[in-house]
Amino acid sequence: MSREIAPGIHWIYEAGPDRTESWDLADRDPEWYEAGREAYVPQCAYLVDGGEETLLFDTLSPASTEEILTAVDELVGDRGLDYLVVSHPDVPHAGNTLAILEAHPETTLVAPGYGNDHELYHLDEGIHVTEGDRIDLGDRVVEFHEATFLDAPVSVWMTERETETLFPVDWMGFIHLDEEKLTFVDELDGEFDPSRLVEFHGRVLFWYQYVDVEKTNAEIDRLVEKFDPQIVAPAHGLVIRENATDYMDLMKDVTRTIDGQERIGTLG
Amino acid sequence: MTTPVTPTVEWINQCYDHEGRHEHVSLYLLRAPAGTVLVDSGSFYHREEITAAVEEATGGDGPDAIVLSHSDYPHAANVSPLGGDTEDVELVASSASPAQQGLPDARKCDIGGSLTIQGREFSFIDPPLADRSHTTWIYDHGDGVLFTADGFGNYHDPGQCDHLSGDFPDVTPAEAVYEYHRDNLVWLRYVAPEKVERTLDDIFDEFDVRAVAPIHGNPIEAADLDVYRDRLGEAMRRIADEYAVA
Repeated sequence: MSREIAPGIHWIYEAGPDRTESWDLADRDPEWYEAGREAYVPQCAYLVDGGEETLLFDTLSPASTEEILTAVDELVGDRGLDYLVVSHPDVPHAGNTLAILEAHPETTLVAPGYGNDHELYHLDEGIHVTEGDRIDLGDRVVEFHEATFLDAPVSVWMTERETETLFPVDWMGFIHLDEEKLTFVDELDGEFDPSRLVEFHGRVLFWYQYVDVEKTNAEIDRLVEKFDPQIVAPAHGLVIRENATDYMDLMKDVTRTIDGQERIGTLG
Repeated sequence: MTTPVTPTVEWINQCYDHEGRHEHVSLYLLRAPAGTVLVDSGSFYHREEITAAVEEATGGDGPDAIVLSHSDYPHAANVSPLGGDTEDVELVASSASPAQQGLPDARKCDIGGSLTIQGREFSFIDPPLADRSHTTWIYDHGDGVLFTADGFGNYHDPGQCDHLSGDFPDVTPAEAVYEYHRDNLVWLRYVAPEKVERTLDDIFDEFDVRAVAPIHGNPIEAADLDVYRDRLGEAMRRIADEYAVA
């Protein structure tokens, strides 16, 4: 399943398991939830086509090997895949790396330059990128950045300069209902409920419960100023293509909310 | 070759060289009443050494169960070579989406719950020091060993690979504890250390911890736990103090 976000940027989507039961949604009945519906925390990859060259950012999980291979073939056709960027070596993000490289021997692997144990992840080969490194794909240019809010130390974020898209990987993810798959946030019915962001970050970036809130929120202010994106394309949420910095600002409320409540739960 | 940590818990010790400094990428073997249990399975990088060590320690039988702290490759890369994808070996993991984590056959353990595995009771603890979201710490009610996955680690020098904490001249060195956590739990740059310490106090109050068994450090013996925890607290304060938002 894929959808074009902006010219040359394609969103490739994996739903993963229904979280209704493991997140106890029916009993808790949060405002954004509707009884009887399924709910998902997606796993997303993104394909950037610059006309001259193509780049895939993340691989989906090992449960979707055929799906990512098919999606890449459909999107790049005979031109091939020039770059595969692994944002970090977490299984749901990187689990199809070998399968993609086997199917596309023309592809150059691009890995984070941060962290110190690349050999333990088969990431010692390929290009290592850090803050400010760029790949020119033709009409699209991607730039890499030190990941700010992350899990694995071997991590990198990415932006696309022409469309001003930020790919913040595990940050700014959120849960959505079944029929909202591949829907842009501005297309959702009603006002976006920030508690969806709390549900995700309270479970997945579990360490938010242990942070200095003011320092963390100062970092969010810095990110807004640094990136000022038009589009935010998270790995575990729906794409935000309107008022993107307002949603980044919302993340400060998420930090405060998680700080002020008991642990909402684990990912499951 | 294994190193005894407690009467029925053995350390299968492997190291990764960071230009002269070493980092453990280990696993543990428990001799439970009904069979042998591995906690984690190690990295593919050490596959040959690990499978040989497990083979020797189990008299050629292999493990009866594998319990994973999480699916990260250095912890879960040898599930299949150790038989974890067969019906003969019980595989236990915490994820609710095991197929996405590459572990489609795993029995789920609930973080916050307990299971009896091979006749031994294990509790699964929500960890305050981890990187991945689905990580669980594992408490062994038999010998009182707390398996802490990516937390409670340290780097070490060549020649210290087999040390337990008490084998160092003055317990696990503070600098090694600091450097490990700075490099591997990057989020600690934002930490409020007192929040982590409160949660650690709760865990140590609830469970009678007689040894801590990290995957990326030297095991910590009961007599050294207070010293290690003091150094861990100091390491967290230092990591947070050293990072200022630009």
